[in-house]
Amino acid sequence: MTGPLSQHVEQTSRWIYSGVWGVLVKWFKVPAKPPELPMLPGEIPDVFQPAEGFLRYLKFQFWIGLTAFDGAILIGWIAIVLASPKWGAVLALPALAIAILPDIVAYIAIHLQYDTTWYVMTQRSLRIRRGIWTIRETTITFENVQNVTVNQGPVQRFFGIADVQVDTAGGGGHAAGKEQAGAGASHRGIIAGVADPQRIRDLILSRLRHSQTAGLGDELPEPRVAARWSPAHIAALSEIRDLLQFKETHPAA
Amino acid sequence: MSTTSAAPASNFDARNISRPNKVLLTYYIIVSLLSNVALPFVFLPLFFKYETLRYKFDDEGVSMSWGILFRREIYLTYRRIQDIHLTRNILQRWMGLATVSVQTASGSASPEMHVEGILEADALRDFLYTKMRGARGEHEPYDQAASAAMQPADEALGLLHEIRDSLRQLVARGEVKV
Repeated sequence: MTGPLSQHVEQTSRWIYSGVWGVLVKWFKVPAKPPELPMLPGEIPDVFQPAEGFLRYLKFQFWIGLTAFDGAILIGWIAIVLASPKWGAVLALPALAIAILPDIVAYIAIHLQYDTTWYVMTQRSLRIRRGIWTIRETTITFENVQNVTVNQGPVQRFFGIADVQVDTAGGGGHAAGKEQAGAGASHRGIIAGVADPQRIRDLILSRLRHSQTAGLGDELPEPRVAARWSPAHIAALSEIRDLLQFKETHPAA
Repeated sequence: MSTTSAAPASNFDARNISRPNKVLLTYYIIVSLLSNVALPFVFLPLFFKYETLRYKFDDEGVSMSWGILFRREIYLTYRRIQDIHLTRNILQRWMGLATVSVQTASGSASPEMHVEGILEADALRDFLYTKMRGARGEHEPYDQAASAAMQPADEALGLLHEIRDSLRQLVARGEVKV
């Protein structure tokens, strides 16, 4: 049943989508541009969205849900038809509407979720924006990052995507699923659905390695003075050495 | 988003903030109205929170206090900020409001401080961001540390020059014998 219906749903959704997006931007003040971060002069931020695979992954979940939901409606409708054909005929249109309308809404929501998710990385920090009704922006400096985790499930592997999870210090008793839904803002940034998790992980870790502190608000350690001797010091020291050596080798002078 | 941040960014100073904007009270009223049956129970705490809410941004940190019966005051230093969250729901976007939530490395999962009722939320977030650790990058604190370290180092250089000069004099006068 998903063959022609899916095409139909997809076509209708695509047609509605651009209109919905325009309304959201205009009336619901959904920002159309990616978030901005204060940066060093001349720095170019790394602005990206989830990979194409993430959209396919969400749609895959959507189709599984849709098949189950519409299948249940179909079975229910067939049962009514078998019980009383007259009521079956009356309920045919409402059943079809119930089967199709939520799917269109869900389909649009998937695209909106994809289009409103932004990740911005600069030399210093990371900003994640997510959400349609409630827009949530999380800012984390790499200096404060404690660990980086890459999560990939079997379905995500099939679609070639993974989630990069960035944790800062501090606790939080949230279940992982709750955070995924954006319910709790708890010391964690999730870069969901990226095709190159290794690159992002290495990027964050390389910036983490430059950090000299534990990322708990501590000050930078005192620089060692010995390492700070300038060329002027070295020059003065070698002059003294030369004077002494000259005296040793040429006492007449 | 950029419309709210672009204009006040130049003349925004967080130190001037002491009270939330009046719009916050309107927002609280709408939130209370949406809860229809529970209206008095929702509205009164929010109203008193609005009436008593005080912010104080100084050079080192920010404090926030509210409450009539039970008073709360939170103080945190900018350097200890771990994450900054900026949240806007649809109502807040319409009214130009936002919630800036600030987390430190404490044990709680929920943010320590929710700064509400600031119209220049983006500018406030940028202010907090530039004050938090790691935002300015290594070289700025390094330069300060280096210049602080240069003071004794310059003393050492002066001493070295003195030693060199007196040694040179001794050599010139032929007083140093090996």
